[in-house]
Amino acid sequence: MATYTLNVNGQSQTVTVANGDMPLLWVLRDHLGLTGTKYGCGIEVCGACTVLVNGQPEKSCDMSVKEAVGRKILTVEGLAQDVDGAKAQAAWVAHQVPQCGFCQSGMLMSTVGEMKAGNHGSSIRPNNLCVCGTYARIKEATQTL
Amino acid sequence: MKDIRETETSSGDEKGEGISRRDLLTAGGAALVVPFVFTPGGEGAKAAIVPGSGAVGAYIKIDTTNTVTVVIGATEMGQGILTGLSQLVAEELNLNWPQVRAEHAPASTLWPNPYGNPLFGAQLTGGSTSTRGWYAPLRQAAAIARDTLIAAAGKQFGGVWTLGQGGALRKGTSRVLFSSVVVTASGLTPPTTAALATTTRFIGKSMPRLDVPSKTDGSAVFGMDVKVPGMKFGSTIHAPVQGGKVKTMPATSGGARLYNLGTAVGVLADDTWTAIQLARGAASQITWDVPTDPNAADSAALAAHAQQLMTSPTASVFVAEVVGSPRIPPAARSIDVTYSLPFMAHATMEVMNCTANVTPTSCEIWAPTQGQQFIPGLAASITGLPADAVTVHTTLLGGGLGRKFETDYVAEAVNLSKQAGVPVKLIWSREEDFKNDYYRPSALIRVQAAVGSAGLGITNMIYRNVSPSINIQRGTLSGNNPEDTGAVAGAVGLPYRMGARRIEYVPLLPCDVRLGYWRSVGESYNTFAVESAIDELALVAGRDPMEFRKGLVGGTGGSPRSLRVLKALETLTNWSVPPPAGQARGMAFLSGFGSFIAMAADVAQSTAGQMVVKKVYCAIDCGVAVNPGAIETQIQGGIAHGISATLWGGMNFVKGKPQVQNFNHYRMLKLNEMPQVAVTVVPSSFAPGGVGETGVPCVAPALANAWAKLTGTRVRNLPFYPGATMGDG
Ligand code: FES
Ligand code: FES
Repeated sequence: MATYTLNVNGQSQTVTVANGDMPLLWVLRDHLGLTGTKYGCGIEVCGACTVLVNGQPEKSCDMSVKEAVGRKILTVEGLAQDVDGAKAQAAWVAHQVPQCGFCQSGMLMSTVGEMKAGNHGSSIRPNNLCVCGTYARIKEATQTL
Repeated sequence: MKDIRETETSSGDEKGEGISRRDLLTAGGAALVVPFVFTPGGEGAKAAIVPGSGAVGAYIKIDTTNTVTVVIGATEMGQGILTGLSQLVAEELNLNWPQVRAEHAPASTLWPNPYGNPLFGAQLTGGSTSTRGWYAPLRQAAAIARDTLIAAAGKQFGGVWTLGQGGALRKGTSRVLFSSVVVTASGLTPPTTAALATTTRFIGKSMPRLDVPSKTDGSAVFGMDVKVPGMKFGSTIHAPVQGGKVKTMPATSGGARLYNLGTAVGVLADDTWTAIQLARGAASQITWDVPTDPNAADSAALAAHAQQLMTSPTASVFVAEVVGSPRIPPAARSIDVTYSLPFMAHATMEVMNCTANVTPTSCEIWAPTQGQQFIPGLAASITGLPADAVTVHTTLLGGGLGRKFETDYVAEAVNLSKQAGVPVKLIWSREEDFKNDYYRPSALIRVQAAVGSAGLGITNMIYRNVSPSINIQRGTLSGNNPEDTGAVAGAVGLPYRMGARRIEYVPLLPCDVRLGYWRSVGESYNTFAVESAIDELALVAGRDPMEFRKGLVGGTGGSPRSLRVLKALETLTNWSVPPPAGQARGMAFLSGFGSFIAMAADVAQSTAGQMVVKKVYCAIDCGVAVNPGAIETQIQGGIAHGISATLWGGMNFVKGKPQVQNFNHYRMLKLNEMPQVAVTVVPSSFAPGGVGETGVPCVAPALANAWAKLTGTRVRNLPFYPGATMGDG
């Protein structure tokens, strides 16, 4: 058992887990109750688990809890607090992007990460998987960002 | 706009028998219980308010804040059904959209099932049937509710009241809210019918979806997100080959207790990751009883067997449709071609998962399910409890695609919770999800057909589909109806004018690959063969594929709706003007799921010689279009799904072992590959048709037809590029 202090959505959170190698994804979901971040593949392919770590998109299925210590983690639950995040959320609603919605937390986090890297409009191209095929609406929505 | 919160994590929500008015009143609200009972057998719908009756379903709840909640028997899996059906109620009650909410109905154990789809009675979501089934009955139930509320205002306040807007009733300058008369209303005997609204404030409008805000801020509750106090996190491991059952297993592994679930071994932990690690760690310590014939779940062996049955004079043939005695003349005016398609995984974005809390007296289940009808009985058989001790909450689904119609993962969660005596949230690893699907059957399809001497019509056709049968595998074929209609869907009842024809189905037996319903089911393979063959015939006839099809559906005895949709596609594509240099256009057409859909695709060739899909056009007549925006997104999604399947999709089995275990080897379309999509929803006043599945079947033939035109190479075996990985492209 080991205890870690994380900074998630601007708040300090302490978790005690059996193994410091546990991916941040499962610490967020199962230990902190932040289930907006999704599990899709567990092997860094689908992007459903994307969160921002110090402003950069990271696949939380591949970042251990011990690596996350000392960094600022932003999840979809905290997105509205972020200027770019709130804009992206509003664009997603305006363009009615989500279908099943399961990939959309990751899509939004990747999009916001790209915005923070200075991308706008058609240069925002999240490389995440959406089985529902919401890509056309994502393109419309990101065009406005 | 109110978002929806599907899942209550506390017990004591209303049960399948419907709403108890007392509960709702004590909860601080009031409910107008508008039950609607469907009688299977075609008697149609009866709607009535039965005061105080426990044996009804509720469709409309009105609370003290005048929020109107529509209780919906169909499952939201991304298609927008909670929104679409709520629009019908909003229209009849003349509501304002921000006061509308939707929630999933509980699973009912009654028969007739008050939450069952009126088309077939059962509480199931699939086959693009939800709007089709509920459109008329739900409008009628809402209209009855409206008239009852009006009558209640008269009784409570005197005088003649009329419907106002925003959940209100009016008399002169007086106005009362629904919430203040709902208790009186629920004591009235409602009329048996009521006139439908003639307004179009909601029906036909692209109303914003009720579930969208919650899907942008992490608050939407999918199955995987359910939280129950005291729950453990579970995971399961299954046999490495299809059809295995637990033979031997240790009592513990990695310090954790193992649970024998028959076809799986389960383990519990304090988080999902640990549970998945423990399940993987236990795998090598478990032995399995496996089916004796490894070739029955081997793609190559099954394909060879299918080839044999294709020409075998002794194959057991179900003739699904026959007209006259078709004869295929020599080559000049005919084709004899064979198409093949692989097994497919569903690969829903959300893996199989389910939460269950079994106690000595109750069983509560939270499931992302399309198959509520099956669950109470299943849980009763596992727990030994009566079915009415089982409560089922339907969560949002992270994709259904037909996979979540099945209940294997629900059974595992219930079994685990029962054995462990604690609430359990079971989540499969993605690897278990790929390896334990109910796969779309593979298919081998031969089409022999001829055109008349003027090149105008199809004079003869012999069509044979050899594929494993979902229905035979499940034992759901009834004796006096041996045709597997699902297996030939998309090949029978074609709208084309045709001469003599025989449509045959030969079940590929034995097959131990577990089979299921994949988005668009039979049409997902038959439409590929039919619409590819129509193009090949047009070529033989020396005719343009659009003109050829129009000729087959036009004129006396033709199909006017088919013709109208083909013409709409012609306009949308500006058909007579070819696409830009380096591109070619192909098309396909489908009459299915109660709708008519025509699709065209413009494709090009990459420097690596592979197909690039540039633009897809779609014209659809799905009858009354309740929410055109949602229809457009369903078509866009169907196109993306269809492209993935056509170019890369497929699950290969080697001696029972599924070869794909995760998305890295299951190539799917990515955002930068999404073609431009243009959709025309043809205005139509016909009864609503299906939408969810209609976007998929035409994609494969349209792409293959375009590719043949572009390169001269006819691709008849899907996928185009087997073995692709996500790293490609
Ligand atoms: S779950 Fe992390 S990339 Fe798929
Ligand atoms: S919205 Fe369903 S997977 Fe993207």
